[in-house]
Order: sequence, then structure tokens, then C-alpha cells
Amino acid sequence: MERAVPLAVPLGQTEVFQALQRLHMTIFSQSVSPCGKFLAAGNNYGQIAIFSLSAALSSEAKEESKKPMVTFQAHDGPIYSMVSTERHLLSAGDGEVKAWLWVEVLKKGCKELWHRQPPYRTSLEVPEINALLLVPKENSLILAGGDCQLHTMDLETGTFTRALRGHTDYIHCLALRERSPEVLSGGEDGTVRLWDLRMAKEVQTIEVYKHEECSRPQNGRWIGCLATDSDWMVCGGGPALTLWHLRSSTPTTVFPMRAPQKHVTFYQDLILSAGQGCCVNQWQLSGELKAQVPGSSPGLLSLCLNQQPAAPECKVLTAAGNSCRVDVFTNLGYRAFSLSF
Amino acid sequence: MSSESSKKRKPKVIRSDGTPTEGKRNRSDTEQEGKYYSEEAEVDLRDPGRDYELYKYTCQELQRLMAEIQDLKSRGGKDVAIEIEERRIQSCVHFMTLKKLNRLAHIRLKKGRDQTHEAKQKVDAYHLQLQNLLYEVMHLQKEITKCLEFKSKHEEIDLVSLEEFYKEAPPDISKAEVTMGDPHQQTLARLDWELEQRKRLAEKYRECLSNKEKILKEIEVKKEYLSSLQPRLNSIMQASLPVQEYLFMPFDQAHKQYETARHLPPPLYVLFVQATAYGQACAHMKSSQPPRQDKMLSVAIEGSVDEAKALFKPPEDSQDDESDSDAEEEQTTKRRRPTLGVQLDDKRKEMLKRHPLSVMLDLKCKDDSVLHLTFYYLMNLNIMTVKAKVTTTTELITPISAGDLLSPDSVLSCLYPGDHGKKTPNPANQYQFDKVGILTLRDYVLDLGHPYLWVQKLGGLHFPKEQPQQQTVIADHSLSASHMETTMKLLKTRVQSRLALHKQFASLEHGIVPVTSDCQYLFPAKVVSRLVKWVTIPHEDYMELHFTKDIVEAGLAGDTNLYYMALIERGTAKLQAAVVLNPGYSSIPPIFRLSLNWKGEKTNSNDDNIRAMESEVNVCYKELCGPRPSHQLLTNQLQRLCVLLDVYLETESHDDSVEGPKEFPQEKMCLRLFRGPSRMKPFKYNHPQGFFSHR
Repeated sequence: MERAVPLAVPLGQTEVFQALQRLHMTIFSQSVSPCGKFLAAGNNYGQIAIFSLSAALSSEAKEESKKPMVTFQAHDGPIYSMVSTERHLLSAGDGEVKAWLWVEVLKKGCKELWHRQPPYRTSLEVPEINALLLVPKENSLILAGGDCQLHTMDLETGTFTRALRGHTDYIHCLALRERSPEVLSGGEDGTVRLWDLRMAKEVQTIEVYKHEECSRPQNGRWIGCLATDSDWMVCGGGPALTLWHLRSSTPTTVFPMRAPQKHVTFYQDLILSAGQGCCVNQWQLSGELKAQVPGSSPGLLSLCLNQQPAAPECKVLTAAGNSCRVDVFTNLGYRAFSLSF
Repeated sequence: MSSESSKKRKPKVIRSDGTPTEGKRNRSDTEQEGKYYSEEAEVDLRDPGRDYELYKYTCQELQRLMAEIQDLKSRGGKDVAIEIEERRIQSCVHFMTLKKLNRLAHIRLKKGRDQTHEAKQKVDAYHLQLQNLLYEVMHLQKEITKCLEFKSKHEEIDLVSLEEFYKEAPPDISKAEVTMGDPHQQTLARLDWELEQRKRLAEKYRECLSNKEKILKEIEVKKEYLSSLQPRLNSIMQASLPVQEYLFMPFDQAHKQYETARHLPPPLYVLFVQATAYGQACAHMKSSQPPRQDKMLSVAIEGSVDEAKALFKPPEDSQDDESDSDAEEEQTTKRRRPTLGVQLDDKRKEMLKRHPLSVMLDLKCKDDSVLHLTFYYLMNLNIMTVKAKVTTTTELITPISAGDLLSPDSVLSCLYPGDHGKKTPNPANQYQFDKVGILTLRDYVLDLGHPYLWVQKLGGLHFPKEQPQQQTVIADHSLSASHMETTMKLLKTRVQSRLALHKQFASLEHGIVPVTSDCQYLFPAKVVSRLVKWVTIPHEDYMELHFTKDIVEAGLAGDTNLYYMALIERGTAKLQAAVVLNPGYSSIPPIFRLSLNWKGEKTNSNDDNIRAMESEVNVCYKELCGPRPSHQLLTNQLQRLCVLLDVYLETESHDDSVEGPKEFPQEKMCLRLFRGPSRMKPFKYNHPQGFFSHR
């Protein structure tokens, strides 16, 4: 008896290698262009692919429009983080941040605009950059990662203005508080630290793993993701995904999710989270699981909400992770299709 | 003036005044007078000028008389009438004169007309004469041109040029003094010379013919002599055979082989020629070694030549066959009627019939192992098949898991991507199969040999992919030649890699991962994890495994691959690795899928580090290839997996809540334990320093 097997196409050496590469691809980061029509995705081979959301979402979308318009080798190592300013796409991975002009990225053979490396003290291994954060008020970029510091870079001059030290292990994630110039950072050491940018100093430390409600020692202490909205902060990772009240530093809701979460974000009155497992989870603030929408990757690493006012028709949620596919959710209810490297 | 007016008046008088009666009378008058005297004769005598003068004068007189009468009448009176009468008489006289003159004038006119007429007739006659003459002239001219255009036969003869003629011709023919001035004579002389020359050439031709005849006769004689030489030479050859054998110079054998090769079907012949040529070329390249002795490629023909010869004279033979078969059939019918199935079976056998001759190719590798290839030609299907066998100098201990590695069925599978040799490469065959009820060739390949695509190409057979009806498939030498070298090289690497795998499997089954010294630098000195099991698993089992789904979905798990399961252990941790071994190993790497059993089951779908380990062996395989031709790839990958498992276990974060020491104390030197958003472990080994870092 024969099982329904996908047709085994004869594969040569290069085809097998390409198939293996695709099979082992991880997409760490995504960023939407300022016009809202394009999505950049960076993978573990240091490639950036530009997808056209407007083409893929249009009514006459074909299979080709779900393939990248352009793919280029941006870094040598994996690309862990990407953000977009009004004109630039900033990508960071192994120790370097590179800037690309959005206008030029869409053309073939584009060259980086500039690249900067924060002042590192160690030389044996170049620390990676795990998170980029734009601070629009002072037109600066905060980089954080392997050397346990938050480096602030002035986007005007390209100089590194200050380094915030305090974490004892590498930093996973950053979040900006909108009202006051404060930045939250979460790291491998299990702490979430609140930094005042004006004073350039740490103002609050939450040691998440020490709170029994959310600590999960078998998973480790690390904080893999965090997001903030006014006085509220949600973080997760080794410890369970938890909603915190910042002023009182107390956990208010613990979300019942066993798998470590790698990305979390506030969306309207919901919290969206993703991590181990193929689903995008939607939570009520009360801790109730509203929905679990399955995607196509076995594990998710990044969610990206396209809320650019310039392209209301491209308002989608995209999720990427341990596969070469970027899942596109047109509404939060189900996966519409996947873009693929 | 008055004379003119009178002149005008005169004709009027003649015409209008002269009434018809008057005219008649006048004429009759003249005729009457003619009898007595000829007025016409008188005309000749009179001078017209004087008549004119007379006429003028008469007219004046008349005018004057008229004027006088008028004058008289106007004066009136009695005497006038007499005078008038007198004058009337005078005028009458004058009128008479006028009449006379008028007649004369008429006569003259008539005479003039006659004369003119006469003259005109004369002119006409002359004119006619002139026309005749002109015509005659024209005719003569035509005749002249005709004559001028006349062509003589001699003009067609291609004569020698004038200078040549005077130079070469003897003076008694050329007669320069006569002919120089006279072109006619000259031409005659030249024609003479031409004739002379032609006579001479004809003579020569006859001579040559006789000469040729003579030579032919000589040749005949010599041929007879040569043919008488053949038996003698044969006997010498026969005598020299022992010497040849003694000196390892198999000229005679090669000659015999070529003789046999003539009976090969075209594809096998192409293969034979190309393989022999390639073998010789290779032997020549290694000039340092004694030629032919241990050449890497030897070609031989097997099978019965007589049968092959019989194939070439089908008419009598087939008749015999038919009668034979008829007889047989009669016999069988006597016993029992052949069922439809038996008939079909016979037809199938007939269709799958091989040519009685086959070509044997022995490909020798460096380590003295030999790949024996036997190429067959299926006459009715017009395809070639191959059977392979590998022999080694030393007896191999066959490991259980290596069962398929060197089996003739699979050793050459997928030599080129996708060429599994289970389907007929000739699209036309499908129609033939339909007739006799063969579903695929797959069921017969064990018996017939595999019809790989490269075999067809070596035989110069090229099958179109999209035109299944095309029957004209011609054996092409250039196609075979272009594929010979690559295919031979591929065959060699295939055999070598299979033999290497064969050896490696033997030790793998005993739980030893053989790492050669030149690959030692890839791994740390101390590796704790051990391979405990290495078994082959069937394709179906591999498909059923839960952690290999994505490989199957990616189309990397075809049924031509070989599948294995490895188990690596360290303490309580058990790492299962499902391996896909592509027949194209080692240019196409083996693909690993992992499942770790330690504190729950971990696969690439729930553990990023397991995924990273897979990618370390699957994607970064190039650094594990070792020295060319990278036969150590599989063992290096397995050893690398052991190292990766060590790293994985040792860097696993310790659960503070559990009492007691860690099961796996960290012995490896690592710069950092985790890195990046997916918290990768430091899997990369840095050779001389011996520490682990992140990729």
C-alpha cells in the first residue's frame, strides 16, 4: 500500500543544498516600510527579503507575489532585529547596525547607506545586537544585546552618546514608554529594568523570576519579550507571560501558557503573544485566552502589526519564526496565506 | 480695268448667255465647219498672245460702240437710228470675233488637258518601274546578308590560338607566307593542324588503354600471390601466439575482439568503441606504468557470436524457427491448448529479449576493488540495460546495515540526479508494453538489468522527452563520447564512496565512529556521547517517524534513498537520528533529523537548539567533508552529532529547584552559554584553542 507522498523530484547537489537551507531557515525579524506596502524580513543567513504586501493582498495576487521582490545578503550572521524610520531600514545582527534606504532597497543590488558598531569592550567574540528601539523624541536609536548594555546612537550624527549598564547577562528585548522618556529592557539575567533616558540611569528593577506566581525554574529565568502600555507592562520568556503594574511593581495577571513566549505586543484591548508552538495567542487582559490562531511555522519569533496609516488596505498581522515562511493574518481570526523566502 | 471686266464677262457670255440651244448650235457649227476646215488645226497656227491682243481690242471696240450707241440714244434724233444700226452691225462683227476667240480658247484648253494627261501617264509608268527596281534591290540585300550569316561547322571547333598555332605547327601545315595575309587559308591551315593533333591524341589513348590492360594483368598476378601468402601468415601468427602471451602483448586478442565487435548491435558497438578508446587514453596518460597491465578500464565482449550472426540473416532462420515453433505448437496443442496467459508470457519474453552479445566493462579503482558492469541491449525495446557487481581484493565482512550498499540493484542508483533506472527511458516502449500487458519495467529490472539514462547515453542512444512516438533513435558516437569520461568518473567515485561507507558501517555497527587523523581537528579530544546503534530502516518506517515530516514534505525522502537510524547516548539522554542517505553520497550530503529523549522528547519543532544541531550537520556539512573525495562525511557528521549532544547537555541551564548535582557537569570551554533571541548554545568548535563559540 502506498501512502500519499509528495512527488519525489530528482534533486541535484545544489537543489538539495537549497532545500536544506530553506528547511533550516529562521526568520528573526520583520519590519514594515514607512509607506506600509512593503515588508522586510531578515533570516539567520543574514539575508533580507522584501515582500510586497500590497501585491500579495491584492485581488489578482499570484503565487509569485508571495515570493520576495528582492533578496539580498545584508549581514554575515543572522539578522536579529530590524526597525524602519521614515526613510531608512535599520538592520542589526552580529555586532553591527546597518542602514538601508527604503527607496533603494526595492531596486536590485543596493548598497548599505552606513554601518556602525557600538563600542564593545570584549574582543574575543563580537556581541550580537538583539534589539533595536527608535526613540522618536530625541531622534535616537537604542541598541541592546550581547554586551549587556543599552547603547544610544544619535541618528543625526551617527555617534554613540551613552551606554546604560546594569544587566548582568545579555539583553533580549527593549520597549519604549510613550509618555515619559523611559525605556524598559529585559534580559537573560531574568530582570526587567526601567531606564530614565534623561538621567541616563536605572530607575527600577523587576526580578521576574523571584515572583512565585510566574517563575518557572525548569525553563530558566530569561525574559524573552516585553511590551508596555502606559502603566502596564507584559513580559514573558522562561517565566510565564505576566502582566505587571509598573508603578507598584506587582504582577497582576499570569497568562496560562506553558511554552516560553518570544514576542508579545499590546493590540487594542488585547495582548498578542507568540513563541514556542505554531500559534499566535490572543489574551484578554484578565488572563483569559481569547483565541489561538495556528500559523505554518513550528515556532514563532516575531510578530509585526502593520498599522501604517498610509496603507490602510495593508493592515495585517505578520508572524515569522522557525521556517522560511512569513504568515499573514488579514484579520486576527485566521491565517490568510504565507509569504515565503 | 475695262479689259479685265470684259475678260470676266466673256466666260459669262459663254456659260449663261449661251443658252443650251445656242450652245448646241455652236457645237454643231464647229462640227460642220470641221468638215471643211479644221479649226483645231487653225489653233496650232494662231498665236495665243495675239489672240489675246485681239480679244482686248475687240472688247474695247465693243465698249466704245456701246458708249457711242448710248450717247446717240441719249441725244435722240432721227438720224441717230441709222447710226445706231451701223454701230450695231459693227458690234455684231465684233461679237463674232469674240465667239471665234472663245471657241479657240476652248479648243486650246482641251488640247492642254490632253497633253497633261499624257504626261501624267508617262510619269506613272516611270514610277512603277522605280518601285520594281527598289524591291529588287531589297531582295538582293537580303540574299547578301543571308550569305554573310551562314555558319560553317568548323567555327564550332575549339582551335588552338593563333600564336600557338604558328609556334607549334610544322611549316608545311602553317604555310606562314600564304596564310598570314589570307584569313581563309589561315583557318584552313589551322583546321588541318587540329585534325593532325587529334589523330595523334587518339593514338596515344589507344596506347594508354593497352598499357592499363597490361597493368591490370600484373595486379591480378600479384593478388594471386598475396592470397597465397595469407595461409602462410596465418600459420606464422599461430606459431607466434605463445610468444605474444609470454610478452603480454595481446594484439591477437584485441584483434579477435574487434572481429566480434562487428556483430554487436549499434548501441553496444558505440559503447564498446568509446569505452575501449577511453580505456586506452587513460592507459596512455599514465605512461610511467607498463601499459595494459593494470589499466583501470578493461572492455570485453561476452556471449555467442554465432547467435548474433544468426540474427543478421532472418529470412531462412525465421522460417526454420516458424516451422519449428509450428511443430512445437502442434505438440503443445496435442497436450493442451496454450492459454491466453501463456501466449502473453511468450510475447513478453519476446519483447524483453536481449541481444546475445553483451559488453563487459571492468572499472578498477585505486584500492584494487573492481566494478564489473555488464551492458545488455534489449533489441525489441531499443534500450540498453546494465548489471553491476563490485568485487574487492580483500574479503569484506558485511555489516547488516550495509546490505543495500553494494547490492547490484542499488549500487548505481541515481548516479545522475533522479536516474533510478526503474523506468524505461524510451518513451516508445510504453506503447509496446501496453500491447503485451506489462505495467512497468520495474518488475523485470532485476533480471534484465537497469536501464539507467546514463547507460543509454554511453550507448549513444538519445531519447526525446516529449515526443513519445519518435521511433528513429540512432546510435550516436559523439553523445557517448561526451558522457564517457564524466560517467566513468562518477562510477568510480560511486564505487569508492560505497566501499568507504561499507567499511565505515562495519565499525558503526560496533558503536565506533571512525574518525581519520586528517579530520581529527574538527572535534575536541574528549567526546563523551557514544554511538550505540546504527541500523538500516525501510523507507516506509522513515516516512512514519513523527520528526521527519518536514523532510518528507520538502521532497527529500524519495524511495531511491537509503535510510538509517542512529542512536547516540550519554547518560540518560538518548538522541535518535534518522538519516537519509542519498545515492549520490558524498556529493549530496546525508540528511539528519533528530529527536532527543531527555526530560521529555525534544525535536526541532519544540526546541530551537535541536533545530540548530540539525542545521549544524545538514547545512554546515561542507566543513565536515574532510579531505577530498570526502568519504568521511557521514562519520564526521555522526561524530559532530556526538559533540553537539555533549554541548547541548552540558550547557543546559540547571534547574535550581531540583536538588543534587547536575547530571552533566560543564566540561567544555564556552565563551557564552546563550546567544540571540532563540538562545542558541555554543555549538561551533574552534580548533586550535579548543573552545566553543556561537556560529
